[in-house]
Amino acid sequence: MDEKDGEETTYEVPIGPIHPALKEPFLIKFKLDGEEIVDADPHPGMNHRGIEFMGMHRNPVKVIPLSERICGICSIVHQHMYTTAVEHAVDIVPTNRARYIRTIMMELERIHSHVLWAGVAAHEIGFDTHLHFTWKIREKVMDLLEKISGNRVNYSMWTFGGVRRDITEDMHPDIDETLDYYLDLYDKLEDIFLGDPSIRHRTKNIGILTEEDAMKLCGVGPTVRASGVKKDVRIDQPYAAYGDLDIDYVIPSRYDYEDVGDVFSKTLVRLKEVVQSINIIRQCVEKMPEGEITSEPNMAALLNKLKSAEGEGVGRIEAPRGEAMHYVRLVEDNEDVDCWKVRASTYNNLATYAPMFLGEQIADIPIIAASIDPCIGCMDRAEIVDVNTGEKEEYTDEELHELSVQKTERMLGGIDE
Amino acid sequence: MPTTTIYTLIKQLLTKKATNPFPVKYTPDNMHAAAELIEKGEVEINPPVEIPENYRGKIKYDKECCIGCKLCVRVCPSEALIFKEDESKVKHYVSRCTFCGQCVDICPQDCFEFTDEFLVAGLDKESEDLVINP
Amino acid sequence: MNLEVLIEGWFFKVVLTVLVSFIGVFLGLLYKGFDRKITAMMQSRIGPPWIQPFRDVKKLFMKETIIPDTAIPWLFNAAPIVALVAPLIALAYLPLGPFGPIMEGYGGLILLLYLLAIPAVAMAFGGLASGSPYATVGSQRELVLMMSYELPLAITAVALAFNYETFSIATISSEPVWNSVGMMGGIGFALILAALFAVMPGELSKVPFDQAEAETELAGGLFVEYSGRNLGIFYIAEVVKMVVVGAFLIALFFPYNLSSLYSFGGPEINGMMLWNVIVDTAFFLFKLLIIIYVAVSVIRVGFARFQINKASYFYWVPMTIISLLGMLLVVVGGAA
Repeated sequence: MDEKDGEETTYEVPIGPIHPALKEPFLIKFKLDGEEIVDADPHPGMNHRGIEFMGMHRNPVKVIPLSERICGICSIVHQHMYTTAVEHAVDIVPTNRARYIRTIMMELERIHSHVLWAGVAAHEIGFDTHLHFTWKIREKVMDLLEKISGNRVNYSMWTFGGVRRDITEDMHPDIDETLDYYLDLYDKLEDIFLGDPSIRHRTKNIGILTEEDAMKLCGVGPTVRASGVKKDVRIDQPYAAYGDLDIDYVIPSRYDYEDVGDVFSKTLVRLKEVVQSINIIRQCVEKMPEGEITSEPNMAALLNKLKSAEGEGVGRIEAPRGEAMHYVRLVEDNEDVDCWKVRASTYNNLATYAPMFLGEQIADIPIIAASIDPCIGCMDRAEIVDVNTGEKEEYTDEELHELSVQKTERMLGGIDE
Repeated sequence: MPTTTIYTLIKQLLTKKATNPFPVKYTPDNMHAAAELIEKGEVEINPPVEIPENYRGKIKYDKECCIGCKLCVRVCPSEALIFKEDESKVKHYVSRCTFCGQCVDICPQDCFEFTDEFLVAGLDKESEDLVINP
Repeated sequence: MNLEVLIEGWFFKVVLTVLVSFIGVFLGLLYKGFDRKITAMMQSRIGPPWIQPFRDVKKLFMKETIIPDTAIPWLFNAAPIVALVAPLIALAYLPLGPFGPIMEGYGGLILLLYLLAIPAVAMAFGGLASGSPYATVGSQRELVLMMSYELPLAITAVALAFNYETFSIATISSEPVWNSVGMMGGIGFALILAALFAVMPGELSKVPFDQAEAETELAGGLFVEYSGRNLGIFYIAEVVKMVVVGAFLIALFFPYNLSSLYSFGGPEINGMMLWNVIVDTAFFLFKLLIIIYVAVSVIRVGFARFQINKASYFYWVPMTIISLLGMLLVVVGGAA
C-alpha cells in the first residue's frame, strides 16, 4: 500500500497471470482505492507458444492443421484466414460450392463461440447454473460440426481451393434440426441473459465503452458493435459467400435498445448474432450451388505447385470475436512457409480494457475482462527474448517506433535494389 | 423474480441428466484395479456417446498396398509418420497423430483408412497399440 | 445439592457436548453432500457421490499445511480453530429435535447471536493475517457483509424476545411462535422469517453472498492462502455452521414435533418414549434438509453473485425494513 498526501490510500492487486477470472495466462495490474479501480495496466506476453515459428518450418499444407490449433474455439477462423492468405498468394480460386460450405461452417462456429461465451460470462458473475445450461445446449452444434467434419473441435476441413468434406443433401435435415433447436431456445436464452434480474444487475451500465473510445482505440467485433459502431468485415469487405447473402450490422439500436456499450449490450449483440448466424446458414443451404468442393482435387499436384510458389497474401475475416488477419509470404527457393503472421482480434480489443475498467469495482473485473471474449492463445505469439542471455526485454513505444521505421527503410531499400 | 431460471432448475432436477456417465458414473476408489476389472470383462461400463459416420478416429494402415511414395510423410503436420528406408514403408506413431486426415486424402493407393476407435490413451506411447508397423 | 451430583451433572454435560459436536460435524458433511448432489442435479449434472465431503476432509487433512512467509502464524493458525469451535458451542445451546438444549439455562438467544457472528470474524482475521491482497479484500468484504446482515438478525431476536418475554431458546422453542400470536403478529413473523431466510446465505457465505470467497474475482478470497489441515478445519466449520443456522431457524420458527400429534409409544427411557424420539429425530433431520434445500441449494443456483455494495444495500435497506415492519406488526399485534 502506498499513501499519497497522507489521505488517499491505494493498493495494487495483480489479476493474473494465473487467476480463475482468466481462462488463459494474462496479467492485468490493478490499482485500487477500496473496491474501486483507479488504474488498469494490461501486460500481455504470458502465453508465447512459438506457433508461427513452427509454421515457418513446415510446408504450406502441413501448416493447415497447425493453424487451427492456434485457438481452441475459433479453429475454423484461423484455418480460413491461413488458407485464404495462401490462396491469395498463389492465385488459387476456391469453387463456388466450397465458398458456401465454408460460410456454413464459419457461422456454425460463431453460434458455438457465442453460446460458449454466454456460459463463461455467467460463470464470471458467479452464476454457474447458466454456465452448465449454455454449455449443455452448445453440445448440439458441436455434434453437428462433428457430423460434418468428423471431429468436435479441430475440424480439418479446409484445403487450398476449397474444402475436404462435402455438406450433402442428407445432412440438411440435421442442420435444419439444429438450427430449429437454437431458434426454439433463443427466447429462453434472451429471457435469462437479458431478463434475469440478478444478471441485469451485474451487466447493465458496467464496463461502458463509448462509441468515441471504441473508434479511437480501434476495437473490433461485437465489442465495438455494442457501442453502435458499424464495423463488420462480412459486410465491409465480403469474403467466402457473404457477398451473395443478405446480412446487416448487429448493433443494439436495431433492436430498440440503446447503443450503450456496456456488458449488457455486448451480451445482446452476441445473442442477436446467434440468430443472424442461423439466418445466414439457412440462406446458404438454400442457395448452395452444385459443383466440385475443391478446385485442387489432386493434393500431390498441389503440393508440387506450392513448393516453388512465390507471393504474399492476406486473409481477413470477421471472427466471432472480431476482425482478425493472417499474412503469409512464400518464396521460390524455400519449400516452407517463409513468413507467417497472425493478428487476432483480442490484440485490438485489449486496448479497450483501459476505459472499461476505470471507476468499476473489483467484483466487475471478471465480467469486464470476459466481455471482450479474450483469447490470449490467439493473441500472444510475440515475445522479445535476448537469445544470448535469455533475458526478456520490453520495448517502449518510441523504441518500437524507431525499430519500425528502420525496418520500413530496410524493406524499401530491398525493393529499390 | 428469476422465473425462467427457477423453472429451468426444477425441470432439470426432474429430467434426465446431460452428463453421459462413460465409462462409470463415479470415479472408482482404485483406478488401476477398476481398469483391470473392466479389461477382464467383470464390470460393465456405460457406453460412450454414439460416434457419427465419417468419424476421424485412429488411422488404419494397410502395409501391403503401400508403394513407398512418401507423399503422406510430406503432408503429415505432426511428423507422426516416419519413413522406414529399409523396407520402404511408413511407421505411424498414434500418440503424435492429430487425426487431420491429410495422409488419407493424399495416398494414391488408399492405404490409410479412418476407424471409429477413439480410445487411444495409454501409459506407454511406444506400446504395440500406439505404434503401427514398428 | 451435594458435591457428587454436581460433578456427575457436569461430566454428563461435557460428554453430551462432545457427542453432539461429532454428530454436528457428521450431519454437516452429510448435508453438504446433499447440497452438492441436489445442486448438480438442478444444473443437469450427475454431481459427486454423497460421500464426497468426507473424502474432501480426509484429503485436506492428509495434505501439507503451508503457512506463508507474510502471515502472522499464531493468528493464521488460530482462526480456523476459533471458526470451528464457535458453531460447535452453539450446537450445545440449540434444541435438536426432541432433545432440549444441553446447556439450558446458561445462555439464550443473545449468546447464540454472538456465537454465530464469531466464525465470520475469525475468518476475516485469518484472511487479514495471511498477508495476501486477495485475502485482505476478502476479509474486508466479509466484515462489511457481517455488519450488514447482523441488523435483520438482531431484530429477529428482539421480536421473539418481546413475544415470549424471555431470551431462553428452550422456552421459545417449546411452543411454535405461530400459535402464540394473532393474525397481525403472524404476518409480522412471516416477514421476519423471510428476512431470516435471506440472511442465511449471507451467514453461510453462499452465492449470491459469497463475495468474501468470490472464486472468479478473488480466487478464493480470505481462504486463498489456507491449505491442508487449516483449510480442512474451515471446511468443517462451514458445514457445522450450516447445521447450526438450520437448527436455529427450526428452533425459532418450526419447533414442531410429530409426537405431539400422535404418540408412537415404545419403551420409556429417561421420561421419553423411544419410538417418539426416533420419529421426532427423523422429522427434525427432514426439516433441516428442507431448510437447507430452500435457503442454500435453490438460492445458490438461482442467483448470480451480487457486488459487495449491492449485497450490503440489500441487507441494510430492504431486509432491515422488512424485519422492522415485521417487528412492528408483532408489537402492535401483541399489544392488541
